[in-house]
Amino acid sequence: MFIKNKRYKMWAQMVLPPALLALGGCSDSGLYLLKPEGLMSRTFYHYFILDVVIMLLIVIPTTLLTIWAMWRYRKGGKGSYHPTWSHSNAIEAIVWGIPLVTVGILSYLSVKAIYDVNPYNPGVIAKAQKADGGDPVEVDVIATDWRWLFIYPQQHIASVNQLVVPVGTPVKFRLTSTSVVNDFLIPQLVGMIDVMPGMRTKQALVADKAGTYIGFSADYSGAGLSWMHFQTKAVSAAQFAQWVKSAQQSPQHLSYAGFNRFAKPYIAVGGDQQTFGNVQSGLFDYVIGEVMRGKVWRTPMAMTENMVNYMQKQRAEQKAGDY
Amino acid sequence: MLVHLQGPWSPLLGRLTLQQIPYHVPILMVTFIVVAILAAVVLAAATYFGKWGYLWREWLTTVDHKKIGVMYILLGLIMLLRGFADALMIRTQQAMAVGPSSPGEMGAVHGYLTPFHLGQIFTAHGLIMVVFAATPLLVGLMNIIVPLQIGARDMAYPYLNALGLWLTTAGAALVMLSLFVGNFAHGGWYGFVPYFELPYSPGVGVDYWMWTFQLSAIGTSLGSINLIATIVKMRAPGMTWMRLPIFTWASLSTNLIALTSFPVLMVALALLGLDRYVGTHFYTAGMGGNLMLYNDLFWVWGHPEVYFLILPAFGIMSEIIPTFSEKTLFGYATMVIASFAIGGVSWGVWLHHFFTMAATPSVNSFYSVTTMLVGIPTGVKVFNWIFTMYRGRVRYELPMLWALLALFLLLVGGMTGMMNAFASNDYMWHNGLFVVAHFHLMVLTIAASIFGAVEYWFPKVFGFKLEQKWGTWFFWFMVIGSGITFVTMFFLGFGGMTRRLDYIPYTQWSPYLHIMLLGMVFYVVAVLFFVAHLYVSLRDRVKNRAGADVWGTGRSLEWATHSPVPAYNFAITPNVNARDEWTWRKENGLTELHPGDYEGIHMPKNTGVPLFLGILFMGLGFALIWRIWWLALLCVALIVALIIIRSFDRDTDMTIPAHAVEQVESGARDEMSATMPTAGVRGGTVIAHSIPQSGTGGISGSTTSTSPSWAPMDR
Amino acid sequence: MSASAAQKVDPAQATLWARHYAGHDMIGTRTFGFWLYMLTDAMVYAALFASLGVLSHAVNLAGGPSPSAFINPIYAYGETITLFLSVLIYGYSMVALKNGNRGAVIGSMFVAMLLGIVYLVIAGVDIGNMFAHGIFPQVSGFLSIFFTIIIYHALHILVGVVWMLVMMVQIAREGFSANVIYRLINLRLFWHFQAVIWVFVFTFVYLQGMVA
Ligand code: HEM
Ligand SMILES: [Cu+2]
Ligand SMILES: [Cu+2]
Repeated sequence: MFIKNKRYKMWAQMVLPPALLALGGCSDSGLYLLKPEGLMSRTFYHYFILDVVIMLLIVIPTTLLTIWAMWRYRKGGKGSYHPTWSHSNAIEAIVWGIPLVTVGILSYLSVKAIYDVNPYNPGVIAKAQKADGGDPVEVDVIATDWRWLFIYPQQHIASVNQLVVPVGTPVKFRLTSTSVVNDFLIPQLVGMIDVMPGMRTKQALVADKAGTYIGFSADYSGAGLSWMHFQTKAVSAAQFAQWVKSAQQSPQHLSYAGFNRFAKPYIAVGGDQQTFGNVQSGLFDYVIGEVMRGKVWRTPMAMTENMVNYMQKQRAEQKAGDY
Repeated sequence: MLVHLQGPWSPLLGRLTLQQIPYHVPILMVTFIVVAILAAVVLAAATYFGKWGYLWREWLTTVDHKKIGVMYILLGLIMLLRGFADALMIRTQQAMAVGPSSPGEMGAVHGYLTPFHLGQIFTAHGLIMVVFAATPLLVGLMNIIVPLQIGARDMAYPYLNALGLWLTTAGAALVMLSLFVGNFAHGGWYGFVPYFELPYSPGVGVDYWMWTFQLSAIGTSLGSINLIATIVKMRAPGMTWMRLPIFTWASLSTNLIALTSFPVLMVALALLGLDRYVGTHFYTAGMGGNLMLYNDLFWVWGHPEVYFLILPAFGIMSEIIPTFSEKTLFGYATMVIASFAIGGVSWGVWLHHFFTMAATPSVNSFYSVTTMLVGIPTGVKVFNWIFTMYRGRVRYELPMLWALLALFLLLVGGMTGMMNAFASNDYMWHNGLFVVAHFHLMVLTIAASIFGAVEYWFPKVFGFKLEQKWGTWFFWFMVIGSGITFVTMFFLGFGGMTRRLDYIPYTQWSPYLHIMLLGMVFYVVAVLFFVAHLYVSLRDRVKNRAGADVWGTGRSLEWATHSPVPAYNFAITPNVNARDEWTWRKENGLTELHPGDYEGIHMPKNTGVPLFLGILFMGLGFALIWRIWWLALLCVALIVALIIIRSFDRDTDMTIPAHAVEQVESGARDEMSATMPTAGVRGGTVIAHSIPQSGTGGISGSTTSTSPSWAPMDR
Repeated sequence: MSASAAQKVDPAQATLWARHYAGHDMIGTRTFGFWLYMLTDAMVYAALFASLGVLSHAVNLAGGPSPSAFINPIYAYGETITLFLSVLIYGYSMVALKNGNRGAVIGSMFVAMLLGIVYLVIAGVDIGNMFAHGIFPQVSGFLSIFFTIIIYHALHILVGVVWMLVMMVQIAREGFSANVIYRLINLRLFWHFQAVIWVFVFTFVYLQGMVA
């Protein structure tokens, strides 16, 4: 673990509005953004709290001022009445000044945060890595319609709809898509990055704590989107090595030609996890090249317009297997 | 055929086949039956009461800016209802389809809507609310109020004005048609590439979306040309720039935004159209296309568009708050500067809609900062409204309640917008419910000011006030519904829940989804109250008749003419002497509205051409959607022919004779106070005659001329 | 402190109603609106040229021909000359309008229109040639925007030609009424605008393409 968990948590508890805290602190509230478990998401959380607090410092007094004016100067109330009073240099200076200063402070923080969690080279991870050394784990992510394929190029394995990462080690992603734009998100570990066909984007994360975290596509990609979610398992280094070994044992292999079949539209209603013991090397770059040359895995009309029938047919035809 | 199409195509009917009628979808069939019955009732009633002539003369062919505005607002309200029905279905589905064990009905795996069906609903919801509800409502208000505020007789181009209305209506009609013939796009109102390309969206849905959007874009651009020219060229003598009412200023800045940004939308959509129809490669992933280009073009329009919507809302608030604070607006010059600052900055922020698209940190930083800059003028406006109430005498009548609701919504919506602008936050919840909650608060700000504006200016247009009791119930149920629904939505946003889900895998979110559904119940009740509000107001219209200065504390020129406003607005063009001219006249006891000694008034004549053009454009859209090429060509030919023929028409103007003006004026009610005891006596004859009986029109009521009545509408 | 302008006008002497107010000037209002319309069209072109910039990288050729391989400058020069000549001659017809010379207006407008048609023919031959060599908008992202811009511009010329035809009939029918005059002024704006746009098309599409 690179940055101590404690500092952020305590800091937050001091300033977080109690209501939010009650909900965020409760173990299974489902408010995942308020329970960061990774370096990137913790960094977000830190700035998020700062941002909210600074803005509330302005917004709450403004709200109170509004209510006060509404009450005090109601017709028949006690406020004095000056029907033509409409200008005051002092007030003008204040009403421009306050937003100006606030926006200045927020801008500074925002820029700092952007560099800290820059997906291509996150400041926080770079810093932690410098302190710690250690080789990052590389994962190539391919989003198809509508599954996630995680390729571990160093280990020559791949996993569908399940991402396994070692705790405390940076994980570096390269991402692309076969068909449409998706967004890669694991709320408790790392924010979004677009996953675009014919292009390569990057992302990185460090998990703090072992556990299973939800992940999904955040950009609308069609009929199967709602089922296009994956599990992220953060495990100890030893368990990770164990998992790699067992995955390498998997009899299912993934070749370029097999991928062409794999990438056909498929709605993963049952979660549909799967591992491939051997993946043809360079698959990630091959897919990008294919898409750039105009390869399209088109969505059959029946699939969008009559999805249920399609799913039954799909089940019958395409049993999970060797591609 | 130019591109590979899935499914059949024939030269005569294009892609249209019987299978495209969704008779197997129960929801749509019920909707169809209801719509059909409603339409039949309306048509039958029009025939039975012999109102066709009246409709044709007074509404369908009108070029009167007030009537066009009223029709815009009517269109907006109808579409608002449709959009609301969509919202109701989305919320129900999401509350039902949570967790793997949630049951499915009517062909859905979970809940009762398949992703394909839900996709159409949320796409239609978004598109309708933005371009067919909010936009027409605001354009309608600007149409009615701006010429009155600047002392003009009409808009600069009345004919163009009607054309804009009918083009927008054609778009809206096509959206409605997509319910019953074919289907609508199923991906989100702002469109996605390459998802909206033919290989991934093979049906006609995207084509419906694209052409309806395009029609409304053309309509709105025409409208913006018109409003800008009106404000620049048509001001009454003495109406210098710094005397311009704030709502007119807001209209000017907002229409400058529209004028410059809508063309970019047209290009964004047209290039997508070329991809889908001709097989070009603008936005494809391969073959040298660039899918990020679409996002840039779309949001270069999209962000200014949201400010196009909010600026008139700000303008409305700046009119209502001083009137009901019985006090001058605080910081007039600041308000003007802020409006233009917001308009200007809105051009440099579009990238915040795709912070996650892996731009370099320096680029994201730039757009993050520019976006936050918008917060400065917005904040200034809020403070100015507060200081307008300060030292005032605030009256809490319905328009004021709405304006204040808008103010509070703006505080929260603006703050959450600033949170989005903080890019590291946005990485976590982009495309999530936090964003959805943010912009719904902003859009509710707009809605609240629109309702405020309708309450505020309704009597000016129709001559009677809306009743207050049901309106107040409506108000409070809207407040409660919005609170429950959208505060809860922020929590789901913190949960990381994303948009547009048909099925929600995580049961932890279930309670929130159910609470939101409860909020929708309040909204449904609110709609009923709204209907009651309208019904009771119409019923009691004689009792609630109002004079020229309905609220007693009106400030600008629109209160210096009769309510309801005669066709020519001002019998004699007013000469402006002060910023708040009407207030100034009242302070100095110069409130006489019968200057006497009238002259004939030159006005544009009614014409059916804009309506026909609208119908032809709708036909063109339909033909293109279904790829019926012969029909498309025919429509284009007829459109060109009609435009040319119209350009030869010399009989486009008329003069309202002085004696007619005299007659209308002497019958008008123009008491300043809201109570109007003698209305029935003084206004009686003219008002009665101006309710046109079938076959009669015109101010005298006895002629059989086909010219419209010049007396105000009063029903 | 009151910012209200109320004190500036003496209420006792104030004019409340602008009697005999002539209203706005019709021709000025119409031409102003046409300027606004042209601003929207300029924005359309701006968006198209921005797209051209985005789609002008090597990757956007997608293996298809690069512009330097197929652009034939002869046609572009021909188009330039006819269009500018046409604009110039339209200018003469405006001079004739000032003198109220109906025949001269119609005559020079006729020549301007003919030149517009010549432009369209040249553009048609140019595009037809490219098509004959298998250079289609469907080949690559770059060619998509390339053809879109030149065809969109040619469509404007077509509209101008039709408009001139209509105006010649209208002048013949009713002489120089206010309606005809504002339309002639707007048509002049429109026609000049096409020449200005052509400068951009020529520079960014043809010249830049040739040297690329
Ligand atoms: C202080 C002013 C505002 C700021 C700083 C702001 C900021 C933002 C940002 C950064 C986003 C992008 C979020 C994302 O997609 O991840 C956004 C989305 C949006 N905003 Fe605002 N906003 C402001 C005011 C408004 C106003 C006045 C409106 C409308 C009337 C509005 C309507 C929207 C809409 C419709 C979206 C989302 C569009 C979509 O994704 O469908 N915002 N806003
Ligand atoms: Cu909505
Ligand atoms: Cu925006």
